Amino acid sequence: MTKPTMNTPSTDSQRTNQPPHHQAYDESLWWGLFSAGGVCFAVLLPSAILFFAVLLPLGWLPADALSHERASRLLFSVPGFLFVGAAVCLPLFHAAHRLRHGMFDLILGRDTTNKKLMYGAAALLSLLALGLVVAGMFR
Amino acid sequence: MDKSTSQRFVPLKRNWWLKLRFFKLYMLREATVLPLVFFLLCILAGMVALLQGPESWQRWIAFMGSPIVLLLNLLALAASLFHAATFFVLFPRVMPLRIGNYQLPDKAIVAGQWAGVLAVLLLFIWLFGRASV
Repeated sequence: MTKPTMNTPSTDSQRTNQPPHHQAYDESLWWGLFSAGGVCFAVLLPSAILFFAVLLPLGWLPADALSHERASRLLFSVPGFLFVGAAVCLPLFHAAHRLRHGMFDLILGRDTTNKKLMYGAAALLSLLALGLVVAGMFR
Repeated sequence: MDKSTSQRFVPLKRNWWLKLRFFKLYMLREATVLPLVFFLLCILAGMVALLQGPESWQRWIAFMGSPIVLLLNLLALAASLFHAATFFVLFPRVMPLRIGNYQLPDKAIVAGQWAGVLAVLLLFIWLFGRASV
């Protein structure tokens, strides 16, 4: 199995029987989201994972630090909206980018399909996350 | 470039990255997003639970405490720190910072980003580390 090329400029599409080349105008957007998501993953996520996924379920936080009432008040707010954008949405696009490239490296599927699947899923889950915060604000 | 690259290079096998330590570390770094995605899906479920009400919220906390979920999230914590260590050294290469004629040393930029991690940790301790007001 030959490794397919990713966004290779080829000018002679007729001679090589390849689909005509399209300039990848969107790549800078995906790379920007990947990069921003990488910063958030590195700076915000260690604390977020430690507090929400380790200390909270182990019961090592003060009893009402993340009670339903306080967690709702903190999350369903403008700062909560911004936090979800930075700690959920951007890392989702970061993950989508790395999964897409990882699948390319492992020669799994077609990049044109993977790209739509990965970024599409990241966009849908991001909309869901931000939508949940907005729904909570207008509850 | 007049021919597609696939016509000029030897086809790669799927296990090409197992041959060199450098490539293995590269693939490990790529794989840090797998536990990250798991954690993000947990958080999404938590947001749904929070919206549903206090009982759902308590059920979600119990779910987060089940051994496998806890283990995967500990893996995500380790992955986030490994990702940070690899990502921070890229910053000065991608965007070297210069103040006037003074080139900010790479080490200072990396240390600045770790300071960011610490600042976020302190914010979380301030927000959740004490009984709420």
